Amino acid sequence: MIDPSTPFWIFLLLVFPASAGILAMVPNARASEVVARVGAVGAVVAALALRVSHGSGTFGPYLGIDTISGVFLVPVTAIYATSVWYSREYLRSVRRPFLSPPIYYALLSAFAFAMIATLVVRDLGLMWIGVEGTTVASALLLVLERRPTSVEAAWRYTLIASAGLTIALFALLLLYASTGTLDAFALAAHPPAATLAVTMAVALALVGYGTKIGLFPMHTWLPDAHAEAPSPVSAMFSGVLLPTALYAFLRIYRILPSPTPATLSTLVLGFGVATALVAALLLQGQRSYKRLLAYSSMEVMGLAVAGVGLGGIALYGALLLLVAHAFAKSSAFYGAGNVLQKTGTTRMADVRDLRHTMPRTAGAWVLAAAGVTGAPPFGTFVGEVLIVVGALALGNLLAAAAIVVAILLAFLGINGQIGRMVFGARAGAEAPSPGEPPTAILYLNLGVALLLGIVAIPYLTDAVRNAAVALGGGLP
Amino acid sequence: MDLSGDVTALVGAGILLTALYLQAESFVNPVIDGIALQSLLLAGLLAWLAYREGSLDLALLAAITLAVRGLLIPYVLRHQIRSYRWRVRERLAAHRVTGHALAAVAVAIGAWFIFQETLAAAFPQPGAGLAFVLLAEGLLMLATRTNTLVQVVGYLEEENAIVYAGALFAKGLPLFVEVVVFLDVLGVVLVSVILSAQRTVIGSPEETHLEELAG
Repeated sequence: MIDPSTPFWIFLLLVFPASAGILAMVPNARASEVVARVGAVGAVVAALALRVSHGSGTFGPYLGIDTISGVFLVPVTAIYATSVWYSREYLRSVRRPFLSPPIYYALLSAFAFAMIATLVVRDLGLMWIGVEGTTVASALLLVLERRPTSVEAAWRYTLIASAGLTIALFALLLLYASTGTLDAFALAAHPPAATLAVTMAVALALVGYGTKIGLFPMHTWLPDAHAEAPSPVSAMFSGVLLPTALYAFLRIYRILPSPTPATLSTLVLGFGVATALVAALLLQGQRSYKRLLAYSSMEVMGLAVAGVGLGGIALYGALLLLVAHAFAKSSAFYGAGNVLQKTGTTRMADVRDLRHTMPRTAGAWVLAAAGVTGAPPFGTFVGEVLIVVGALALGNLLAAAAIVVAILLAFLGINGQIGRMVFGARAGAEAPSPGEPPTAILYLNLGVALLLGIVAIPYLTDAVRNAAVALGGGLP
Repeated sequence: MDLSGDVTALVGAGILLTALYLQAESFVNPVIDGIALQSLLLAGLLAWLAYREGSLDLALLAAITLAVRGLLIPYVLRHQIRSYRWRVRERLAAHRVTGHALAAVAVAIGAWFIFQETLAAAFPQPGAGLAFVLLAEGLLMLATRTNTLVQVVGYLEEENAIVYAGALFAKGLPLFVEVVVFLDVLGVVLVSVILSAQRTVIGSPEETHLEELAG
C-alpha cells in the first residue's frame, strides 16, 4: 500500500531546491546563501522522511520512486547540503569570481534539483532531461575561478557530456519504437523481449550515459571538469553526479528480462573493469591532487559498473560503494579545497608537511583517502569486497583478478600521494601562516562513510558465506 | 499515388547532403547557414508528415524546429560572430578540407552499414538509416573541429538526427518530453555561447589550454 505522505515528500524534495534555485538570485550574497541552505536542508529532510517511511510507488504519469531511487536520494541531498555549507568559506577565498554568490547558489541549487528530478521521475525521457539538465546547470559553475583552463574544462564538459547524452537519447528512441513506452516502472514490471533493437538500445545507453558516468574511453571530460571546478562543486560531481548518471543507465539496464543477455552483461562488465584499470593506472602519474581525486572517482565508477554487470551480490556491493564513496569523496574534495585555500596551489609537489601546517585538514584528508580507496572499516571496503566476491561466485576469476589489481593500484597511488603531502618534509624554509579553514563538514561526511561500513559488515559475512556455498564450499 | 516514401527519401537526401557539406566547409558563417538549412529541411519534413497524418503533435514539433533551430539558434550564433569579431574561417579545418570530406563519406558509409546489419530489420521505414548516419556525422564534427561555434553546430546536427529519428520511427513519443528536450538543447546552446564568449575574452575561440590540462 502506498503511504499517503510519499507524494508530499517527493513534492518537497523537488520544491525546496527548485525554490532555492529561483530565490537565491536575490541580489544579496548573505540572503542567497541562507536561501540555498534552507533549500538544501529541506531537501535532506524530505529525502530522509522518504527513507524512514520506505516511500515508494508511482504518482501520476511522470513521478515514481522505489527502493533503487531511495538509495540515491539521501546522498544526493546530503552532499548538496554539505556543499552549500562548505561554499561560504570557499567563495571568500576566490578572487574575481566569474559568478556572483547569488548566481553561484542559484546554479548549485538548480544542479541539485536536476539530479533529484532524475531520481524521482518514472519516464526515461524525463530522466534523460534530468541528466542533461545537470550539464546545463553545472557547466557555468566550473568557470567560477576564471582561469583559462577552467573555461576549457567547462567547454569540454558541455560538449562531450552533451554529445554522449545524445547517443543515450537515440537509445531511448529505439527503446520507445520497440516497446511503445518509456515508463521505467512499467518496463521493469513487464520486461520486453530482448530483441536486437532492445539490446542495441541498452548498449547505446551504456555508451551514452557512460560518457557522463566517466567510463573509459568516453571519460576525457571527467578529470578536467573535476579538477577545475570549485571544490564544493567537485564534491557534487564526484560524489553524486556520476552515480546519478549510473542510476539513469541502471533504469534502462533493469528492463531487460532476467537473466540478462550474456552479451550485454559482459559488455557492461568489460566497460567497468577497463575503466577501473585505466583510471588506476592513470592516477599514478598525476601532478595535481584534484586530478588525482578525479581519477579515483573514475576508478570507483568503473568498479560500480563492473558490479552492475556482474549482478547479484556484486550489485549490492556496487550500490553500497556508491553511497559510501559519495560521503568519503566529498570529504576528500572539501579537504582539497582547504589545502588550495591555504597553499594556493594544486601541485602535489608543492604541498608538504600538512600535518603541521593544517593538522585538522590533514587528519581528515588521510582518513578520506583511506575511505575513497576502500580501507576497512569504511563502507567502500565492504562494497569493493562484495564486488570481488560477486565475481568469484560467478567463477569469473579474470574479472575478479582485474578488479583486485585496480583496487590495489588505486589504494597505493592515492594513499601514497596524500601521505607524501601530509607527512613529507617541506623543502622551502617559509612556513605558511597559522590557521586553517573549518573542517567540521569533512569529519561529518567521513563519519557517515564509516558508519555505512560498520552497519553493512553483517551483510558482508552473509555474502561471503553465500558465495562460498555457490562455489561448492561453505561451513560444515 | 502515395508520395510519402518519395518525399521522406528526397528530404532525407537533402539533409544528408547538408551534413556532408558541413564537414567540408571551413568558413564559420556558411557552416551556420548550413545547419539552419538542415533544420529548415527537417521542419519541412515534419510539417509534411503532420499534414499527411493529421498530427497536431508533429505540426507543433515542426513549428518548434523551425523557430528554435532554423531561426533562433543560427541568429544567436551569427550574433556571436559579429559581437566578438571572430575569425570567419576555422584555421585548422582550412588545411584539412579534403580529409574532413573523405572522413565524412567514410563515416556515412560505415554508419549506414552498421544500421543495415543491426537495426534495419526492426526499423524498415524509408530514411530511417539516414538518422543514424546523421548522428554519426554530428559526432564526427564534434571530434574533428576546433572552433567552438562549429562544435555547437555538430551538437545541433546530432539533435537534428534525434528529431529525424523520432519523427520516422518513434511516433507517439509524448509531446511534453519532446518539448522539454528542445528547451534543454536550447539551454546547452546558451551555455555553450556563454562559454565560448568567455573563451574569447581569454583567447581565441580556437585556442586551447590542453598543455595545462594534461594528465
